[in-house]
Amino acid sequence: MGKKRRLRKESASLGPPLTSNRSLKELMATHYLLSRYAQGAMPVAWVTSGAPVEILRPFDFYTFYPENHGALCGAQKMGPELCAEAEEHGYHQDLCSYARIDLGHYFSGKTPVGRLPKPDLLFAANNICQTVVYWYKALAEYWKIPLILFDTPYNFGEISEVDISYMVRQLEEMIPLLEQISKIRFRYKRFRKIVGIAREASLTWGEVLSTMKARPSPMTIFDAFIHLAPIVSLRGLPAALEHYQGLLAELKDRVAQGVGAIKNERWRLMWDNIAIWYKMRDFSNLFAERGMNFVTATYTNAWTETIGYLDETKPFESMAKAYSLVILNNNLDHRLQLMERLIQEFQVDGLVIHSARSCKPYSVGQYDLRRLITERLQIPTVVIEADITDSRAYSEEQAMVRLEAFFETLEG
Amino acid sequence: MTEFHSPSRREYLLKQREVYGRHIFGVFPAQYPRELLWTMNILPVEIWDPPLDLSYASAHLQSYICSIVRLGLEFIVKGKGDILDGFLFPHTCDSIQNLSSIVNNYLKPGKPCYFFYHPKWPYRESSHRFYIEQLRDLAAQLGDQFGALDYSRFKRYVEKGEKVTSVMRDLYSLRASGGLSASNGEFYRTIRQAEFLHPDDLIPLLEKFLEGSQGTPRSETSVILSGVLPNPSEILALLDELKIRVGDDDLLACGRRYLVPPNQTQDPFESLAERYFYMPPCTTRNSPIKERLEHLINKVEGSNAQGVIFWIVKFCEPELFDMPHLIEGLKKKGLPTLVIDVEPNQELTGQLTTRIEAFGEMIR
Repeated sequence: MGKKRRLRKESASLGPPLTSNRSLKELMATHYLLSRYAQGAMPVAWVTSGAPVEILRPFDFYTFYPENHGALCGAQKMGPELCAEAEEHGYHQDLCSYARIDLGHYFSGKTPVGRLPKPDLLFAANNICQTVVYWYKALAEYWKIPLILFDTPYNFGEISEVDISYMVRQLEEMIPLLEQISKIRFRYKRFRKIVGIAREASLTWGEVLSTMKARPSPMTIFDAFIHLAPIVSLRGLPAALEHYQGLLAELKDRVAQGVGAIKNERWRLMWDNIAIWYKMRDFSNLFAERGMNFVTATYTNAWTETIGYLDETKPFESMAKAYSLVILNNNLDHRLQLMERLIQEFQVDGLVIHSARSCKPYSVGQYDLRRLITERLQIPTVVIEADITDSRAYSEEQAMVRLEAFFETLEG
Repeated sequence: MTEFHSPSRREYLLKQREVYGRHIFGVFPAQYPRELLWTMNILPVEIWDPPLDLSYASAHLQSYICSIVRLGLEFIVKGKGDILDGFLFPHTCDSIQNLSSIVNNYLKPGKPCYFFYHPKWPYRESSHRFYIEQLRDLAAQLGDQFGALDYSRFKRYVEKGEKVTSVMRDLYSLRASGGLSASNGEFYRTIRQAEFLHPDDLIPLLEKFLEGSQGTPRSETSVILSGVLPNPSEILALLDELKIRVGDDDLLACGRRYLVPPNQTQDPFESLAERYFYMPPCTTRNSPIKERLEHLINKVEGSNAQGVIFWIVKFCEPELFDMPHLIEGLKKKGLPTLVIDVEPNQELTGQLTTRIEAFGEMIR
């Protein structure tokens, strides 16, 4: 099902839109369109955003990302409708709304993209949360299909050799299963090449984000939230790399010409946690009108932070490190240090923390992070209580009271 | 063997330190190798539901985080853990995972914090090997503070752990077959002593309870409890009052951890690995929903129960995700279910009482 597009007014405070938005839209529309024809033509895998997808690609799996679909539903304000479908079937309103959207789709078939491909395999990694595993277990039960888990021990301290060898062994154990499901033999050379492409795309994504160090920043974090889709959904495919190469060239050009994403960048902000997808447009305008630009986020950074570990000469071991050292699988000391580094490198004046009801590993610890960052860096901070896609868990009034206070502090 | 006098938890722990030189560790839920801790002369004291009002924890945790995590943090922030020599955080769920880091990295309680990661289903050869390696790693870390692991002592404590499990199995089996006269409240008050008693005290306590509780049950109507832990205890008292006996349970704090099949493995590391991989299906280990449903149905059949009560701690994602499937599967078998979504330590509301009473009427 589709919703009638409404014309929404862009704020006059915003700079010119990115021309790469068009190529992104085409790329993702093609991805969703092709997915409809993948079913029956090639094996289809539904994959969590933090899973080491490179291992699936040599088997020609068409990969589909329910979290990306959830974000899309959220941005199109379909979250409550799809969540309610899952709730009708007994899924509690306190559960992750990405999961409820996905289960709501399972029960109702509703989606803004026409139709989703039925999976042959579910592939999850618990490096982003345990929730994805509970969610995929439910899907595995409904679809009666296999679930493969990449179990990534949490880094309470430092990563150990025991952890790495456990993850390497798991990747090796997956190969016969994937051969069986896809009926394609593992091609090691191709796998190594895919690891190389994934690395390059992620590093290019990192360069894209780094352009926001410029003053004025050539894009906002709201642009980055949208342009995140290929590195999540098409990682390991040349199309993702090509997209980021084009985007990077455009951003570099903007920096050279001094074109900012907002017209009067007076304050530079950092965002913590996943986007509030249904408030993207409103927040983009709200902050731009006050001369405030989000120039960095822990969320967008997650797909480039550890990817430097990827090494095609040691693909299994390097994947173990790259995927288990991600922000949400790492202790909070690591997160504090990362945020402090980003705040300094991107010359951040204030921090907006989204306490997301859906995402426990991202949200538990945020109150202390806020306290420590305020104490150590002396910058204004604010916490907004909301949800990633379920707008029923968001109070505009409460958020605005907090944001007004934040704006006053920031503007001194 | 020490004599058990039913003292308060604090008095008991102080005595353990003074008389036996034992180190006291606060351990968060749920799966951890307590035999290893006993061997290192560490007495684990589990932190599930300390009877505290929540106040300070709200400065650290959002209102949508479960009470077990919030109460655990409240316990630490209020300084109630002064008696403890360290903390152990098993990897139970996302919230406990991050709680471990809040405590270790931010609150820095001045006591050593340890972490134990147990592999998640689906289990493969690598899972077994990793579990053994995790045990060895924890032993080495504890060894740095408390002295090296003594292998023969470890074997003895694994045997004591086996004995605890064996008496627990007998108790559960007697209850399921209708041969236990103890009330629901008495049963859970007794077995929850396993959360802090040393095995030398726990084993005789359980044996005494087993011996003294054999007899005709107080009711023919029985239910299965599934969920996390039997708190608030007023619900057990209400079930007793309604003459509904708990025939068996699938509670994380109780049956799921104790009802492990006997194992004869000689090597203590291998023995603990066996115990872990043969525990009843559990959300904290990512067990498949199908296995959980079969397990519940077996419990219903094995205890002649008339219904299942899902006793859920608010905001507990692992349990809430499995519930729709389990309820549907039980319904297909014609088994009534009741879901109660409560906070530990909360008072029994009139509405909750009415729902439980109505369920009792329905299954009679």
